[in-house]
Amino acid sequence: MLFVSPFLLAFAFAIAAPLLYAAYLSLFRQGLVGGNVFVGLDNYSRALSDALLHTGLIRVAIFLAVQVPVMLGMALLAALALDSGRLRWAALFRIGIFIPYAVPAVVAALMWGYIYGPRFGLVHQIGSDLSIPLPDLLSHSWMLASIGNITTWEYTGYNMLILYAALRSVPYELYEAAEVDGAGEIRKAVSIKIPALRQALLLCTIFSIIGSFQLFNEPNVLQALAPGVITTNYTPNMYAFNLAFNGQEYNYSAAIAVVLGGVTAVVAYAVQLWTNRQERAL
Amino acid sequence: MDTTRRSSRLRTRTVLALSAALALSLTAACSSSSSGNGAANPAAAGSSAADALNTPTTLTFWTWVPSIQTTVNAFEKKYPNIKVNVVNAGQSAAEYTKLQTAIKAGSGAPDVAQIEYFALPQFALSKQVVDLTQYGAASLKSGYTASAWDQVALQGGIYGYPQDTGPLTMFYRTDIFKSLGLTAPTTWAEFAADAAKIHAADPTHYITSIDPGDAGGVDSLIWQAGGKPFQTTGSTSVNVNLKDSGSAKFSSMWTSLLSKKLVDPTPGWTTDWWKSMGSGKYAMWIAGAWAPGSLETTIANTKGKWGVAPVPQWTAGDNVSAENGGSSDAVVSTSTHKAAAAAFAAWLNSSAEGAASLNSIGLFPATTALLNSSTFLDQTFPFFNGQKANQVFAASSKAVAAGWQYLPYQVYANSIFKDSIGQAITNGSDLSAALGTWQTGISQYGTQQGFTVANG
Repeated sequence: MLFVSPFLLAFAFAIAAPLLYAAYLSLFRQGLVGGNVFVGLDNYSRALSDALLHTGLIRVAIFLAVQVPVMLGMALLAALALDSGRLRWAALFRIGIFIPYAVPAVVAALMWGYIYGPRFGLVHQIGSDLSIPLPDLLSHSWMLASIGNITTWEYTGYNMLILYAALRSVPYELYEAAEVDGAGEIRKAVSIKIPALRQALLLCTIFSIIGSFQLFNEPNVLQALAPGVITTNYTPNMYAFNLAFNGQEYNYSAAIAVVLGGVTAVVAYAVQLWTNRQERAL
Repeated sequence: MDTTRRSSRLRTRTVLALSAALALSLTAACSSSSSGNGAANPAAAGSSAADALNTPTTLTFWTWVPSIQTTVNAFEKKYPNIKVNVVNAGQSAAEYTKLQTAIKAGSGAPDVAQIEYFALPQFALSKQVVDLTQYGAASLKSGYTASAWDQVALQGGIYGYPQDTGPLTMFYRTDIFKSLGLTAPTTWAEFAADAAKIHAADPTHYITSIDPGDAGGVDSLIWQAGGKPFQTTGSTSVNVNLKDSGSAKFSSMWTSLLSKKLVDPTPGWTTDWWKSMGSGKYAMWIAGAWAPGSLETTIANTKGKWGVAPVPQWTAGDNVSAENGGSSDAVVSTSTHKAAAAAFAAWLNSSAEGAASLNSIGLFPATTALLNSSTFLDQTFPFFNGQKANQVFAASSKAVAAGWQYLPYQVYANSIFKDSIGQAITNGSDLSAALGTWQTGISQYGTQQGFTVANG
């Protein structure tokens, strides 16, 4: 008990207390008129029937379904390429893919915002130099893909490192045995490496699920460039932020935060259960 | 986010360098002091103010006007017992968030805070800022323009001193209008006709752009059209009517222009937008009188090509304007030095010295003495090809339509502007329907907050 107490203290103050406080806040309603009232679960029933919140949730779910597989696929390919030992300049390759992760998300979004700019952005300047008409990447139909591109750029390297580290822990004897059996690099990747990455991939997937539901910085920065596209409820986090800080609805936004946390936990747990079942089926 | 865009505006707008050498020629600014100490001293609206200014005190002042230290230094020199710490706690909504949090927490809030007119009713309603009537504010009313004073005299009290204003003005490219044989439009009908001609002459050019994220800009256009969509009708009741005649005038004309693609729906203050402004893609910009500084610093290459004229009118021969932007300085309820804070805010904005100093660092004045002074009015602007632009601004300030109000929760109302009007502007769809959607959002929030909301 003595040895875990530093952890427990930090956990209690830094994690449990804010969560409990948010849950407590979510049971009240304080309006600009009328003071603070205990309303029980009213804020939760409001959240369940709040179309604005649902639009945001559906949007991040679509984002999750498309962006995460693409990003993890690229991270997996990069990790396998690194681990194959056949790359020249492997260290440069590794750091090159990882570096975007070191760029703060807000800076990355600003930078990409300039690149996407419909008239003087880099993409359009190249397009007009080559006389290729390009779509407006900050328009309704392209915005989610544009945001997905930014997050993929940011986080592929991070996921690659997790997968690469897992690959390094595969016993070398397995590869030797495979080579004796006549397996090439591709066969080794499919039959040994990818199965060995199962747990690491699960970890990356769960991080990415959490990240997708928490989507905030990128759309928030791009909103200045496309206010008519990115609404205040574009993602659930943006919705909660606007309610809390422009609308002073701290109580309702606390309820949204709790709901969002719950949805994220359920989805992440479902993925984990599903993976475990797959594993058992093998 | 709205803040990013807005803050870039505020940053640039406060770099204004309208006029530098006004300061000491102006003396008749304000009601004379009752304390009888030689120079006009608006701060001493009572003996309590004089006492407060003679008691050693340290005040904290939250503001995002970059060079305001100059003005504060002048105050400290005059009243050496008062020390003022100037703190930039963020711009606009970013500052309001911190301010509200600090006031709720009971500590950490400043004594005096800069608050824009559109946000002031919210702070006044929740009594987070002090009614300055008890510090003699009423006696300073005559020193300010009516349009500025109307924005701080709220809910039966006086909740701030006007720091700067933004009378709506038309900034236009004289070269573009001349090359097409046009003169600056004096009515909105002429504006619409010119919009078609400018776009026909060059399909990549537009008469102007409209910002899908700028609630304040659209508010000003509705205001100038005679709309009064937001009214506080009691301490807990408001009226929201974005279908009144002014709002309808705005929506029908701009819907028509947008659907014909004669105006460009583009967010302002971005790199793209400034490049378009500099390249002549837009023939005009309708903005507050704070705009010259931004133009001069950001697109200096267009110097001499711009002119200044009154906003187009809905009825030929009329002279109706509106305000666009502007801030007040308010005394925060948690302050332990309210008398000194009120006296400081009064001096800063009301005294001839304070007002002139604020103007010299780029703020458009709210005091009549400065607006009517010949030094101010006769100043020529090289950027506007030698035009005496202040005369146009000052006339606009006098012509501001009376009776406009902001809601006691305009900060939120403006934040959801982009969800309805912003979308319609971007898509070129019906603005009147979008105004209806905005009204619904604003009304629902008001009800949720405990107000009685009418839509009449």
